[in-house]
Amino acid sequence: MDPRQAAHTLEVIRTLMERTCQYRLLTAGASLAAGTLAILGASAFVFLDAGDPISFAAVWGFVFASSLTGSFVGTLLRGREVGERVWTRQTRMVLLALAPSLAAAAALTLFFFVRGDHLWLPGVWMLCYGQGTLATSAYAPSGIRWLGVAMLVLGALTLALGAAASIVMMGIAFGLGHLTLGFALLSEERRERAVRLYRSVA
Amino acid sequence: MNAFKRLFDELDPLLHERGRLAIVSALAAAARLTFTELRDALGMTDGNLSVHLQKLEEKGYVTIDKQFVGRRPQTSCQLTRAGRQAFTSYLDHLEAIVQQGRGRNRA
Repeated sequence: MDPRQAAHTLEVIRTLMERTCQYRLLTAGASLAAGTLAILGASAFVFLDAGDPISFAAVWGFVFASSLTGSFVGTLLRGREVGERVWTRQTRMVLLALAPSLAAAAALTLFFFVRGDHLWLPGVWMLCYGQGTLATSAYAPSGIRWLGVAMLVLGALTLALGAAASIVMMGIAFGLGHLTLGFALLSEERRERAVRLYRSVA
Repeated sequence: MNAFKRLFDELDPLLHERGRLAIVSALAAAARLTFTELRDALGMTDGNLSVHLQKLEEKGYVTIDKQFVGRRPQTSCQLTRAGRQAFTSYLDHLEAIVQQGRGRNRA
C-alpha cells in the first residue's frame, strides 16, 4: 500500500463513518430552493403591507409550506439516487431532535398572532430554528451547525432591532443562510461522489 | 520502501479486507447497529455480511446479539473494546504511511 492508497482508504473510512451516523439525505437543491423562496418572500413585502397579519401569514405560510415540500421531494429523490431508504434510524433521530423546537415555534406563532404582535415572529422563528438545527447537528453535515449558530445570533439581533427590521432580517437569515448552506452541501455532495465508498477500500 | 513495507506488514490482516474494514468503520461510528441497518448502510448481501461478521466475532472484534423485538427476531452488532483498539491501531498505521509519504516528498 502506498501513501496515496492509504490516504484514500482513510477518506473512505471517514465517509463510511459519516454515512453510519449522519443524516445524509439533506439536499443542496432543497436548501437553495428554500433560500430563494425566503428571499422572494421578503421581497414580496415591497408591495405588500407587512403589518397586515393576513398578508404576513399568507407569504410566510407559503414559503414554509413550499420549502417543506421541496425538502420532502428532495429527500425522496436523493434517497432514490443513492439507493438508500428514507425512513432510517438517522431520519427518526433528526425528527425527534427537531420536534421540541417545532412545537415551541408553533405555540409561539399562535401566541404572537393572537396578541397582534406578528412582526416579532421572525426573531422568534430564527431562535427556534437555530435551536432545532443545533439539536440535529450531531447527526447532520457540519454546515448545519454553523447555520444553527448563525440563526441564534441573527434571531437575537432581529429582536434587538425591533419589528421594523424583521422582514429584511427574514430575507437575510432564512434566505442567505439557506443559500450558503446549499452551496456548502453542494461541495459536500461533489466530494461524496468523488469518493467510491467501501467498494474501493484498499 | 522498506519503511512502507514494514508499516504495511503491521496492518491487521483481518481488518485489511474491504468488507470487514467497512463493517468495523460503520460500527466504530455507532454504538450499536442492527444487521439490517449495517447491510443497508454498506450495500452488502446478507450472506456476505454474515460471513464477515462471523470472522470478526471469532477474533473478538464484534459481539452479535440476537433477540426478539415484539415478535420479530433482531440481530444487532457492536464493536468490542478489542475491536475498537484494533481499528484505532489500523487507522494509526494508515496515518503513519501517509506521513511517511509526505516526508519523502518533502525530502
